Amino acid sequence: MREPDFNTLATRLLRNGISPRHARRAVNELRDHYDDLVDAAVDEGANSKTARLQAASELGTMDDLVAEMASRRELKTWAKRYPQLAVVVYPIACLVVLPAMPVFVGIANRTALIRWSASLLAAGLVTAVLMLVMQLSIVLG
Amino acid sequence: MAQSNPPFMSGVPELLLLRLLNEQEMYGYELVRSIKQATGEAISLGEGVIYPVLHSLERKGSLKSRRKPVRGRTRVYYSLTKKGRDRLEKLRNDWSRIQSGVATALGTASNA
Repeated sequence: MREPDFNTLATRLLRNGISPRHARRAVNELRDHYDDLVDAAVDEGANSKTARLQAASELGTMDDLVAEMASRRELKTWAKRYPQLAVVVYPIACLVVLPAMPVFVGIANRTALIRWSASLLAAGLVTAVLMLVMQLSIVLG
Repeated sequence: MAQSNPPFMSGVPELLLLRLLNEQEMYGYELVRSIKQATGEAISLGEGVIYPVLHSLERKGSLKSRRKPVRGRTRVYYSLTKKGRDRLEKLRNDWSRIQSGVATALGTASNA
């Protein structure tokens, strides 16, 4: 048996509709469990490679782990638990949120927006001062 | 390698987990070891599949969890809630009923 690829496991869990919270936690717990199994095998005298392979075998196959998680409806995202509701709610939520998107984008990019506004203001001020100087030179000169 | 007992036993891993957690809080690896020990290795779960069961029980309110740093690792310790104790009682009664039913059936069959 190959050593477990926990990143692939996380991706597969998410693709199977497991909520990110449960997927992340399960992968972390499995990783710790695997490390404990490796440590136990090493303590019993196995070399590092054998210990890792033995631990992977005891942990179970990725297919079994994904299937077991996916068989539990309560661990899935709400959209997977209530697909009919999601079909109705998502478009409505999008319609509500869409007009407010510029505000959200502005908040998300506030640093760039502030910098850009400050530059524009400074440029406006310089232009106004130059215009004023030119105006005064015409009037007074 | 320990042989796992796949979906045979819907309900049995849950019963064993609740029973063990009724005594003290434990984390996943510790629970698997305890199940092996408590059942004389008669029941060996595919070790990884314990986590979906634990998460599921927590989601249903039978368990609660807390994180605890131990030797550089963050363990998730599970313990029983009031709802979990009620669930354990129910499963224990169900199991006793089934067990005595099967024992009666086997007794009848061997006497026939």
